[in-house]
Amino acid sequence: MKAVFTFSLMTLRMLFRRRTLWGIMLVILLGLAGIASVPTFDVSNQGRFILDFGLFGIEVGALLLALGLAANLYPRDRETRTIMPLLAVPLSRWQYLLGRFFGAALVQAAALVVSCLGLMLILLFNGLPIPGDLLPATLLILVEGWFLLSSVFFFSFFTSPPLNWPLTTMLFIVSQMSVSEFVLLMPSAPGAMRTIRLVLPHADVFHIKDPIAHGFHIEPVYFLIAVFYGLCYSAFMLSLALAVFRGRDLK
Amino acid sequence: MKTFHFVFILSLLCFAGCATDYDVAEVAPEEHLDQEHHHSDVETCEDCEDDHGGSSEEPHHEGDSSPSGHNHGSGVRNHGTQWFFNQPWAAPFIWSKLLRDGLIFLLLAVLLFLITGRKKH
Repeated sequence: MKAVFTFSLMTLRMLFRRRTLWGIMLVILLGLAGIASVPTFDVSNQGRFILDFGLFGIEVGALLLALGLAANLYPRDRETRTIMPLLAVPLSRWQYLLGRFFGAALVQAAALVVSCLGLMLILLFNGLPIPGDLLPATLLILVEGWFLLSSVFFFSFFTSPPLNWPLTTMLFIVSQMSVSEFVLLMPSAPGAMRTIRLVLPHADVFHIKDPIAHGFHIEPVYFLIAVFYGLCYSAFMLSLALAVFRGRDLK
Repeated sequence: MKTFHFVFILSLLCFAGCATDYDVAEVAPEEHLDQEHHHSDVETCEDCEDDHGGSSEEPHHEGDSSPSGHNHGSGVRNHGTQWFFNQPWAAPFIWSKLLRDGLIFLLLAVLLFLITGRKKH
């Protein structure tokens, strides 16, 4: 595991040097500032609006970060032949994958925490209370971000980055749908749609912005279950990615 | 042996998704769905003993922002809010299924790791 740790730190440093991360962070923070600057027109519950849309903005930010950070990692390593000496001696394929994943996951976590702090500042600036469940809500979005990150890695082993973006975005959209909503995409074939939905994740598990915005209390055990579900699904996607990666001929 | 692995993984995947019994709106027990305060337009609202049928009627509960044109008091679900409570956080009866699915995905991850690792790579 020491090799994975060292390689993930190398990945982390490399990602912090890239302009992509800072560009996406700027977009997220500008989006949050834009949400806060929407005039209220004396409508009550402005805090609910800022919180709801702010958390949605952070969630979209998690998707952008996953794509921006990871879609190009393996293709670039392969194109520049950096992967050859790495896999020749110090790292096995699973160590390479885990090192890259953990490095990107740490960078994504840092970026989402900064986004959450930005949302807190916006709430404070508008004289609105900060709900106690805001940090757990961000944690769930982070777990969703890690799931998206593992999906990006999975797609990156057999598609190019321009194809990875729409594929992951489509997965992000359809995994938000309930079974009945998913079936409605093609009502003429409900059986086939239900079968396809079987293997897709349930990303609505990570959504608690509605209850937080409306002041509902969330059971702590729900956080634990949702985090566990997200981490297990991420591990599954990573193992799928590894299965594809192990079958690739890098010559 | 490969076929066995494929069938085993596929069956676990199907079991893991179990999406047919996951959709909150489809599997919710009666008491979960019945918590919304509902009455037909021509019935009398039990909370305020008022008739909902009159078109010129003023909102008779606090505010008028709910889809039905009025809000009920704290602790009573408003009309048209069932979608809100059909989310996983509000449906404890599916939490055990989430836990089960998580465990199966973890098992699948370990199996895939071990099976694909047995190659020469």
